[in-house]
Amino acid sequence: MAQAGKGKLNYRCPSCFMRDIDIDMFYDEDKKEYYCIRCCYHGSEEDVLQKNQMARFRYKSMLKRFDFDDDGQKERK
Amino acid sequence: MKDTFILNLVHRPELNPEYAEKTAGGGKGLEDESIDIFKLQQRLAHENGLKTTIQMTYSSLFSQYVVDLAKSDHQKYGDEIGLSLLGLPCRQFNEKYRTKDFCIWMFSLEDRKRIIDDVFGKFFECFGFWPESTGSYYLDAQSIAYIEERYPSVKCAVATCWEEGPKAYHTCNNSWYTLMDGGPWNPWIPSTCNTHVPAKGPEDDSHIVAIPHLSRDLIACFDGNGSNFGTHPQNVLRGMVYEGDQYPYLFNLIDQYRHMGKYNGGYSYNMMFVGPGWLNKKGRWEAPYSLLEKSYSDAMAYYGNLKKEGKLCDMGMSEFASWFRENRLYSSEAFLWKDILYGSEKSHFWYSSPSMRCCLDMNQGGAMIDLRPYESKLVRECGIGTSHVQEVSYPFLIQANYRAGYFTHYAGEGTVKSCTVSYGGVKADMCLCRTKAVLRSEDGQRVLELDPVQFKLGELVADIQSVFYFREGSNEVKTVRKVLRTSIPDAKVCITEYMTACYGTTEYPEPMDGIKLIAGDKTLDYQYKCRTVRAVGCCTAVVPQVECKVSMHASEGDECFVKEGYAFSPMFTLGVVRNAGQGEVFESWLKLEKAN
Ligand SMILES: [Zn+2]
Repeated sequence: MAQAGKGKLNYRCPSCFMRDIDIDMFYDEDKKEYYCIRCCYHGSEEDVLQKNQMARFRYKSMLKRFDFDDDGQKERK
Repeated sequence: MKDTFILNLVHRPELNPEYAEKTAGGGKGLEDESIDIFKLQQRLAHENGLKTTIQMTYSSLFSQYVVDLAKSDHQKYGDEIGLSLLGLPCRQFNEKYRTKDFCIWMFSLEDRKRIIDDVFGKFFECFGFWPESTGSYYLDAQSIAYIEERYPSVKCAVATCWEEGPKAYHTCNNSWYTLMDGGPWNPWIPSTCNTHVPAKGPEDDSHIVAIPHLSRDLIACFDGNGSNFGTHPQNVLRGMVYEGDQYPYLFNLIDQYRHMGKYNGGYSYNMMFVGPGWLNKKGRWEAPYSLLEKSYSDAMAYYGNLKKEGKLCDMGMSEFASWFRENRLYSSEAFLWKDILYGSEKSHFWYSSPSMRCCLDMNQGGAMIDLRPYESKLVRECGIGTSHVQEVSYPFLIQANYRAGYFTHYAGEGTVKSCTVSYGGVKADMCLCRTKAVLRSEDGQRVLELDPVQFKLGELVADIQSVFYFREGSNEVKTVRKVLRTSIPDAKVCITEYMTACYGTTEYPEPMDGIKLIAGDKTLDYQYKCRTVRAVGCCTAVVPQVECKVSMHASEGDECFVKEGYAFSPMFTLGVVRNAGQGEVFESWLKLEKAN
């Protein structure tokens, strides 16, 4: 194969992201997949997006809106 | 002063944005695009009625177009024109200095001075006046002193990125050298000894007001990547803290910062500073340009609306410095930060004063999980030619994430200050008692009162409450453990207040030789021999590597001890001990002093 390049967006490796490492993936034109040069993750764009969604599992309040008062934060209804 | 939420909004025109160059491939058109991004940022601010501080970069001083743009925005909108020491790289810089270095604190002192003179001189040539604000990711004490000596017009500087150290380095695949943990999270007046350390008074006042690069989440950045959780809309996208085009977290973060006013005399603060590379047309990682632009636009609208509602005061950096000197000066700052991201009920208490910076975790019964001994006013020269070329963090004595806290893998101990409670041969640590707290200010001190927790020690149940006192101007922290109730009347529990510590700036161990441990009148020279010495009175550790003397004492007659570590546990422990029954309290003090 010829050398890999960047895909249409600079997708980061979802597996490395979950261990707090931002590392751009490269795109393998022959296999039509992104791959990480540090860990062993590789996958299609669809798989990357799905894994990115998974990476958000820890942000349980990500879409909540809070108000702050003396007793702490209260979720806005 | 009452309920003043101040915003410093900073924009820098870069002709070779450091991020875009690599990710967008550099090349022709980048310069125009970069100026367009700066113009967009300025427009979004002005449309929302906000004024900015334009921090001119060295490269932008060679563009008459950008210089005219800055002059015109200054006239039209009252924007301050300052001078950044970021954004040095450009053809002119590279040809003159023959290096790719771009972080001011990493150059040799000689080069630092040369570059500062060059950049300030060029600024004067363009504008006919001297700037009143400057900055970098980090500005070391020697650079600040030089700037103050030569350009006394400078009143304010971006001087550090809060908790950007080993975590940011790790996130960037160990290639981004902003190793500068350990400073205050909100503006302060730096001491002449060390930028991280707030000045005590006029005698060590560096004559500038320092502001942090961004306002960051005081829980998320303590453990996670510091860059993802701050007042930087594109960093929030970088952290994937959004779904579709919604990122309420950004506004929760701003609002929690606003809430700090309640504990700091009505004053609260935000700093937003987005470099143009973060808004580049090719998108940034998985976020397309449209989302990058929308997030910036939404942030400006949010601040703009707060201003319209009379809840925000936008200031230039220099204007803010004058306000800060008049209203805050050398005051301490404190806050009980609540988790707004992970859905836990965790809260961290943060405290910053000229004597110390520390963090207490309510989820671990109020254990101290970070301690920086500002009292030792450590002088650390940095840059090429010193032993700290890149690394400018202020050392810790306790950092429960870098050097283990309560939990270790089967052997050894980690850094933390907590207490154990024992009865009838059963012992438990306060670190395993999850609780919450209330923070209040009274009689010149911050009082952090925790909800009582329960210990089950064999047949005995004991309810214990912890209260921590931080007195303004004091180099001590007072800890009170109250035995509220014991299930067996007349039972006495044994409370051991302890601090396990070491020193360092990273995750890796440092040599412990030279440390002296003193209990009462007995002294141990650290030799990794796992020894314990008990006495009555005060226990102390002298750590010459960070010029610090740290001690603990309780009341006269209380037992104390020092414990030496060993090679697999390169720590030391100080402790004071008391038996207490229902209705009794155990008061103890942690004290920091400079050791020469
Ligand atoms: Zn990877």
